[in-house]
Amino acid sequence: MSRKLTVVFLAMLVLVGAMSLKTVVVAHGDGSVIMANGGAPAPPVPWKNGGAPAPPVPWKNGGAPAPPVPWK
Amino acid sequence: MLGPFECFVWLLCTLLEAGVVVCAVRTRSFRRYFLLNVYMGLSFLVSVGRYTVLRHSGVDSLEYAYFYFYSDALLTIGLYFALLSLYSLVFDEMKAERYLRLGAFLLLGATAWFSYEIVNQSTHRMLTHFAFELSQNLYFVGLVLTYVLWGAIFKLRESRTRLIQLVLALGIYFSAFAANYALRNLYPNLQPVWHFVTPLLGCILPATWMFAFLRVPEEARLVPARLAVVPR
Repeated sequence: MSRKLTVVFLAMLVLVGAMSLKTVVVAHGDGSVIMANGGAPAPPVPWKNGGAPAPPVPWKNGGAPAPPVPWK
Repeated sequence: MLGPFECFVWLLCTLLEAGVVVCAVRTRSFRRYFLLNVYMGLSFLVSVGRYTVLRHSGVDSLEYAYFYFYSDALLTIGLYFALLSLYSLVFDEMKAERYLRLGAFLLLGATAWFSYEIVNQSTHRMLTHFAFELSQNLYFVGLVLTYVLWGAIFKLRESRTRLIQLVLALGIYFSAFAANYALRNLYPNLQPVWHFVTPLLGCILPATWMFAFLRVPEEARLVPARLAVVPR
């Protein structure tokens, strides 16, 4: 049992270490990506134009048209 | 539009990926390093697929972008399992196979969950975001795991030359991409240089693994440092 717990602990430790490293690297980065598989040219990220955060979608709850306000 | 240099490096990288599998088969090491060869074979197929999509749709097209990021997530998962197969080889005498498997799946599951929690904030194109985020997170997990494995090799005084070379190559590969990323952000004005350097880094892993399979025999051993005998 203690061996299994050690494995769980080590896995969590690696995850925390990796995510901390990623946070440090990405926080100081320009928003570009690390792609490390093969020599193919990386395309621009399709959901991002520039570094600005995407605004919330105005029609947040589904795409149905909003009904008229009942107390008009 | 791709220039001749990018095309040449991409072709070279693809040929090296196929070369790794060919050399492993030729030296009868395919089964022993099965997951490494599966990863390299998959990389070769993905390169061919990416070229086909790029030729039909162009480098700035959505089709190429989606194919690229989904295939990258698949390859990163493949690389993760290839790395874990190296763990199995290093720890095979300790009979820790069961614990390694448990740790591997736990870590992969936790990374996937972490990636999901990040993309859960933005529901727009969630699946694509998830594939992208998982790929990035697994890259960093792989980086940390490679350094841990290198530490274990030192501690256990591993002497199998080919195994050491395969792990070192992986460490250099991960570190080179991380260093490239850091330098790119430190010196953004050197963009023309990074434009040439980044694709070349992709050739490191297939080139070094091919060399390891081709030139380093399986039975080759490194001589551990001897203890100094002080005469009294």
